[in-house]
Amino acid sequence: MTRFGKRRAAAAVGMAAMAVTALAACSSGSSPSSGSANQVVHLTFTNWDNGMQAVVNAWNKENPKIQVKLIKPAGTGYTLYNKLITDNSAGTNPDVSEIEYQALPEMISNHVVISLNKYVPNLAKTYSQAALGQVEFQGKIYGVPQNICPMVFYYRKDIFQRLGLKPPTTWAQYAADAVKIHKADPKEYLGNFDAGDPEWFAGLAEQAGANWWTTSGDKWTVGIDDSATQKVASYWEGLVNKGVISPEPSFSTQWDTDMNNGTLVGWISAQWAPDQLPALAASTAGKWEAAPLPAWTAGDSTVGTWGGESEVVTSDSKHPAQAAKFVKWMNSSEQGLNLLIKNVNVFPAATFAQSLPALNTPPSFMSDQPDFYGLMRSIAKHVRNFQIWGPNASVTFDSYSDAFAAALQNHTSFGQALTTVQNATVSGMQKSGFTVSG
Amino acid sequence: MAIVPAASAVQAGAAGGPPRRRKIRSSKLPVLLVAPALVLLALFTLAPAIYALVLSLQKVQVSGGLLGTTTHQVFAGISNYTATFTDPEFWASLGRMLIIAVIGVPATVIMATLFALCLDANKARLTTFSRLAIFLPYAVPGVIASLLWGFLYLPATSPIGGQDINYFGNRAIFFTVANVAVWGVVGFNTVVIYTALRAVPADIYQAAQIDGAGELKIALRIKLPLIAPAVAMISLFSVIGALQLFNEPTALRPLANAISSTWVPLMRVYTDAFVTNNIYGGAASAFTLLVMTVAATVLVGVAANRLIRRSSR
Repeated sequence: MTRFGKRRAAAAVGMAAMAVTALAACSSGSSPSSGSANQVVHLTFTNWDNGMQAVVNAWNKENPKIQVKLIKPAGTGYTLYNKLITDNSAGTNPDVSEIEYQALPEMISNHVVISLNKYVPNLAKTYSQAALGQVEFQGKIYGVPQNICPMVFYYRKDIFQRLGLKPPTTWAQYAADAVKIHKADPKEYLGNFDAGDPEWFAGLAEQAGANWWTTSGDKWTVGIDDSATQKVASYWEGLVNKGVISPEPSFSTQWDTDMNNGTLVGWISAQWAPDQLPALAASTAGKWEAAPLPAWTAGDSTVGTWGGESEVVTSDSKHPAQAAKFVKWMNSSEQGLNLLIKNVNVFPAATFAQSLPALNTPPSFMSDQPDFYGLMRSIAKHVRNFQIWGPNASVTFDSYSDAFAAALQNHTSFGQALTTVQNATVSGMQKSGFTVSG
Repeated sequence: MAIVPAASAVQAGAAGGPPRRRKIRSSKLPVLLVAPALVLLALFTLAPAIYALVLSLQKVQVSGGLLGTTTHQVFAGISNYTATFTDPEFWASLGRMLIIAVIGVPATVIMATLFALCLDANKARLTTFSRLAIFLPYAVPGVIASLLWGFLYLPATSPIGGQDINYFGNRAIFFTVANVAVWGVVGFNTVVIYTALRAVPADIYQAAQIDGAGELKIALRIKLPLIAPAVAMISLFSVIGALQLFNEPTALRPLANAISSTWVPLMRVYTDAFVTNNIYGGAASAFTLLVMTVAATVLVGVAANRLIRRSSR
């Protein structure tokens, strides 16, 4: 569900990942055993979420015939996805893996995952159309949604109180507050523009009404530099150029320190932040509060997402039926979701589970905000996503990081950077042979 | 993937064997002795290099289906290579690498030679400790060193003026990266030179002293020419090291906006192969770099040999 220190982790394990890839043959796959009724089936499951072991243990206790082994991947996010794509060629992938929604189409187009229609026929009863839309393409379901992660604005209520500010409800107000805060103490910033996390920016574009990828039949249209996204880009360019927003990427060493020492008094993040903040900014516990993301037009509650995962069964799995059974239990049964809420701070995608009593207790980092999940519930109702994520989103995301980092570094136009991302995405898709216009 | 082991094989090849004087009569012993090295070379250098070459001539083609339900690996001809050569970013990354090399290689060679001469000087004290202190950074893995330097550079944690100096500025970044790389290798090179100095017979120095030469004069007139081959060798290694620059910028990248995912050629290969999943394009870039590395190594090797021959005349 969550991402933790993606960039940092990527840096530390980048080289290790390469070595691991080279030695792919050594990594564990599913143990081949005949699927006869009396034999114990052993499944492997990659997931980086903290607390997941408790969920797996509960399953193993109740299902002696289907034993799941949890593997913590060396890296999160695309470090894992790229490993899955590479290992897919070697046939050594685990049976089950977590895949965030934004990466799922790319995993499908690389044949990493299989369609689950055969194994989980009744998902439509459990999920809203919007949630299912993240895993279902052209009538095929490729994963069981676990959670939704609407974007949320977190702010330091102590500092806001001192300055007599209220959490901004519109982006115009956010901009005005950013100026005020920086003026009151030139060391302080209301937030940062994050060139390191493309999904962060994509979430903001979703809120503004962008549709980076649309499809009609088998045809793709790419609209990364559409007017809605341009609006978001130029808004942030303005704030960065005024010097009232920090240009440091999130999850970097500098950002960690700034979050800890009060240099940063706000963070545009997502539902999962309380799971990350204890590790990122431990000394600020109890000082943060969550609020809905500012809106472009006052009163509009539309919000994008940042992150959110589904569990998939890989094409290397020799026991897809059992793997699908485990995935379905974890992400769409009451028992599984209660465990996820308790151990992993998940905000469930399954509609019925959004009112489970387990959600009446806020995450421990937000203990001062007892109705944290009530707020999430109301925010999550207005989630808006792109129609679909691109089949080569990794190209888009890599290009975003480079183009926007360069724009910040050289003080050049964000709009130009957006065009760079658009062109890289389209030419990448054309090269692979997708039918695309953009 | 292939470029790293391949290039180190080049090192081995370039450094290997002075011309043989005597003809060895037919014996199986030499074959047996070199066999392990040859097998390893074939398995871990030649085979991956050939595989990279094969990959670089192919591409994946999606046919039909929104999400590419049917894909084929097809022959791509030289299209991956033309894509590499026509990509301005490829040349830009080469340019950045060269800038780092221009800063880093002379700095490494000069510092290593200077340290070695100082350690070898008669008046030197605490040599064991100094030698260890100079060598120690080499024992720190590159990634760790880069992260440590990252903390030294970043304004939030910098004890060396990161609050006032922007170590991640557009120009400063080259020195920032080169600095990390230089400290990492200077220790090793110092030891190489120092060993070469120790191998010089002491009576040469005594003769020089009797002739009235001071420490400085001995260092410049006697020692330097005698260790020229060692200096040439570490220059060669430093150049190859610069061509293989990867760890330092990769580890520093998440810390700031200054370093892109294709900042130096090897980062580009890595990004192609394992970030944007274009393993074929990555293979083409890797193979291109391999050829360039071999060419550069041969050039530098020949130049260094000439230099040594001239100085030893």
